[in-house]
Amino acid sequence: MATKAGLVWAALAVAGLFGAATFTTATPLPVWAQAAGPVTPVKVGVRRITETQYRHTIADVFGPDIKISARFEPEKREEGLLAVGSSQLSLTASGFEQYFALASSISEQALGEARRAETVGCTPKDTRKMDEACARQFVGSYGQQLFRRPLTEAETTARLKPASVGTQQSGDFYTGLQLALTSLLMDPDFIFRMETAEADPANPRTYRLDGYSKASRISYLLWDTTPDAELRAAASSGDIHTSAGLRKQLDRLVASPRFEDGARAFFTDMLQLDGFDNLIKDPATYPKFNQAVADSAKEQTLKTTIDLLVAKKRDYRDLFSSNETFINRYLASVYKVPYSSSNAWAPYTFPESSERAGILTQVSFLSLFAHPAGSSPTRRGVKVHEIFMCEPTPEPPADVDFSKVQDSAKGTVRGRLLDHMENTGCTACHRRSDPPGLALEHFDGLGQLRTMENGSRIDVSADLDGKKFEGAQGLAKYLRDDPKIPACLVRNVYAYGVGRPTDERDEDYIADQTAAFASSGYVLPSLMAQIASSPEFLKPVIPRLASPSAAKPL
Amino acid sequence: MRYSTGTAIAAFALAAAFPAAASAEWTKTWVIEWNEPAMYYGAKSGVIDPGTDCPKGTNPDIDWVQVMVNAGYTREEAAWLRNPANPTRSPVHGQNQMAFRGKDRANVYINPTSTPDPGLTPVSGTIGEGIDLDGNTKNGFTGLNGEKGIDNSFYRTLGCWKTYRGPQRLSSGALQFNDAMRNGSWTTVIVATGKGADPMNDKDVKVGFYMSADKIVKDGNGGVALDYTFRIKPDAKYEALYSARTQNGVIASTAPADVMLRDPSYSQDLDLLRSRISLKMKPDGSLQGYVGGYRAWAPVYKGWVDARGPVIEALTWVQLPGVYYALQRNADFSPTGTAGEKTHISYAMRVDALPAFVMTPDGGKQVTEITSYKASAPPPSKPSATTFSVIDGLVPDRNAKVQAGPTAVILPPTTAPTSAGQ
Repeated sequence: MATKAGLVWAALAVAGLFGAATFTTATPLPVWAQAAGPVTPVKVGVRRITETQYRHTIADVFGPDIKISARFEPEKREEGLLAVGSSQLSLTASGFEQYFALASSISEQALGEARRAETVGCTPKDTRKMDEACARQFVGSYGQQLFRRPLTEAETTARLKPASVGTQQSGDFYTGLQLALTSLLMDPDFIFRMETAEADPANPRTYRLDGYSKASRISYLLWDTTPDAELRAAASSGDIHTSAGLRKQLDRLVASPRFEDGARAFFTDMLQLDGFDNLIKDPATYPKFNQAVADSAKEQTLKTTIDLLVAKKRDYRDLFSSNETFINRYLASVYKVPYSSSNAWAPYTFPESSERAGILTQVSFLSLFAHPAGSSPTRRGVKVHEIFMCEPTPEPPADVDFSKVQDSAKGTVRGRLLDHMENTGCTACHRRSDPPGLALEHFDGLGQLRTMENGSRIDVSADLDGKKFEGAQGLAKYLRDDPKIPACLVRNVYAYGVGRPTDERDEDYIADQTAAFASSGYVLPSLMAQIASSPEFLKPVIPRLASPSAAKPL
Repeated sequence: MRYSTGTAIAAFALAAAFPAAASAEWTKTWVIEWNEPAMYYGAKSGVIDPGTDCPKGTNPDIDWVQVMVNAGYTREEAAWLRNPANPTRSPVHGQNQMAFRGKDRANVYINPTSTPDPGLTPVSGTIGEGIDLDGNTKNGFTGLNGEKGIDNSFYRTLGCWKTYRGPQRLSSGALQFNDAMRNGSWTTVIVATGKGADPMNDKDVKVGFYMSADKIVKDGNGGVALDYTFRIKPDAKYEALYSARTQNGVIASTAPADVMLRDPSYSQDLDLLRSRISLKMKPDGSLQGYVGGYRAWAPVYKGWVDARGPVIEALTWVQLPGVYYALQRNADFSPTGTAGEKTHISYAMRVDALPAFVMTPDGGKQVTEITSYKASAPPPSKPSATTFSVIDGLVPDRNAKVQAGPTAVILPPTTAPTSAGQ
């Protein structure tokens, strides 16, 4: 059967890809300084597209009404970001089956009778027979949208063949096209973002990302989707390699409403909101927690962030101190306030008495980074350091006795942690990790306000790096004034965009970008455009084993 | 139309009793999370066991073949009518011919007096729940706390019926209708306001029961979640306003009121005359107690008939004519005076409510006063409890060659094995 043949073919292609992927995360090597001869194009990056990127891409290419019902392969968080982990992902056999089922479903929907005329764009001479010209046009058009670059002749021919065989066997041209489209949707060049470096015409002995790879990198950073026609045109014409051409595209992308999609995807990753997919709470302790609350909490933080940083272009640091947010009926119950709107969501300002300030005091952060049946100053503190200050905390020693901390029926968490810290192996880390979490202890494991625990008044004073602060609002002020906060955002945006963590060689670059970020008033869209326009962002990292002479020609 | 007249009169009366009130000193709001007829269960365990209320336990299932034989059918005909293999017995809507067991095979559901009273064992215990509606402590039940004069003739009448009997929250009827409410069929909110400084002890309290279009939300344990927001939905039928006082946290009526509430039953309408409330504000913020009054008993009976007589009789172990006779026999109130026809029966509904935010109909602000919203409500819509068409207590099978009825010929398999029809 044609579909089986396609499956085997695609499987082979993916197997080949894995071989290629092994060198993509190698340590960057500045080969342009070493190249002895003219360079040949080389693949320098492979990243599996995320679920949202997949969904956005399909919606952009085929329309937003295409249904995508599937459980996507788990993603992997590395150095705090799924985007970095995506450079290390492969496909499992079950994942491959899911992609195949998705590809078939999308093809059926896109080429179903109701919408095939709109989808195909040309009319076959006889719908019972193969029309190669029409099929070629179809494959070429959708191929470049899905592969994010024009197809080679070999790639086109590889799709025309199943289209022809499928048409012959079924007696229906559109069935043949479905096979061709399924083949495109199953191709590693769609499921993975392949980045290619080519010789830089200005200096043929050095590499640069080719135009389409640049377009993809920019598009997925700013819109979380495949490059649109204008961006692909800029890649095709070479405009994207010019400073003016690049600036024009960046300005357009950042000014577009689609920029919200990009910012949402970035913050979903950075704030680790994917954790809601697996969040469990003990219903006996937190009966108000249910799936609607979980979904709402995630959406609240994203809405707040996008409104503040994208719509209002406010100072990024306000994210930690602003009382402005949005709530819905479910969250109003958790926050124990009336919901004064007939709409699904409504703007809301936390009153001073709520003790809330910024996104750290929203249900999302407070519930994500807590235990199923209790709060956790340590988890919260660790995540404040990791997510917002780019300071990871080492894993605890293997022989730690957690029993004292876990006995939640006695006293306050602070007291239990102090007992726990009698273990000298724990003290050093906890002294650093816990203070932000201790300041948030007026919020239980779901994020509900409280002042007492097991009959004892909760102390929310904290001391970090010699600076004392009190409660969530004190923590908010501390973080807002900490220079590590904006620097960490810069680091995260860059790592998210290039798909690799920063290292010591990036320090000057991060420092320069942070300074520029400060000059812009800590405005997020400016930062993302600024990073996307920087040479370092579009600079390829050449695989360790690759050299201009050894690189396998593409 | 009785309703429209009653509504207009009620609205006029409400306008006088509840003028645009000045802002209260305090407001408390709840959503009803459970409501059921107040039926005291006198057994120590189980759900149908013998107890002080019903010494022989819940009224048992009925020998329906014998019932039909008593109605004039041959034993073969009666057995065939009850036989699940009978193609005229719908697995969903039951055996329609069961209706035709009155005199001259009249439909007993719509003409219950066409058959002799088959009887319905009443509650014989002395303990009951509810409110003293008539101020007479020498009649009625003794309450759970020893109070005298609890008027709840509805309980005395139907308290041994399987539908109603069982521990709190465990009778089949209560489970069925509260599940429906909790799954979003309807929402009732309660608002209490007072002018005194102490909500627990206030002489001037107003209480309103209102409908909301906002659905109840369940928590992680499957219970009703706390602290959700509900907007009042003006309703032309369902609204109840009371003047009351609080004493030690118990809200008690200071005057009777004629009200209409959404009933957890097939009839849906809880039309209460001389209604009173007794609701305790508990330390955890919840509200628990009773709404009492005299309800028209004929609509109660009709509610069961409209729920498909053959189904109700088979599932709940009762002969509906027996319910009719029993309600008529135990009715204890006439709106026209003591000499008038007893069209109403004393009743109490057990109410459990949880703290909630209740908003004005536009959702813009929290309710702080008790007022009637009926004037701004759209006309009441007809109940739509079922998706099928019930006629005279039956769902006719449109595809049947012969319909059930007084003249239907019953042909057991022994006489016509392949063409039995009605």
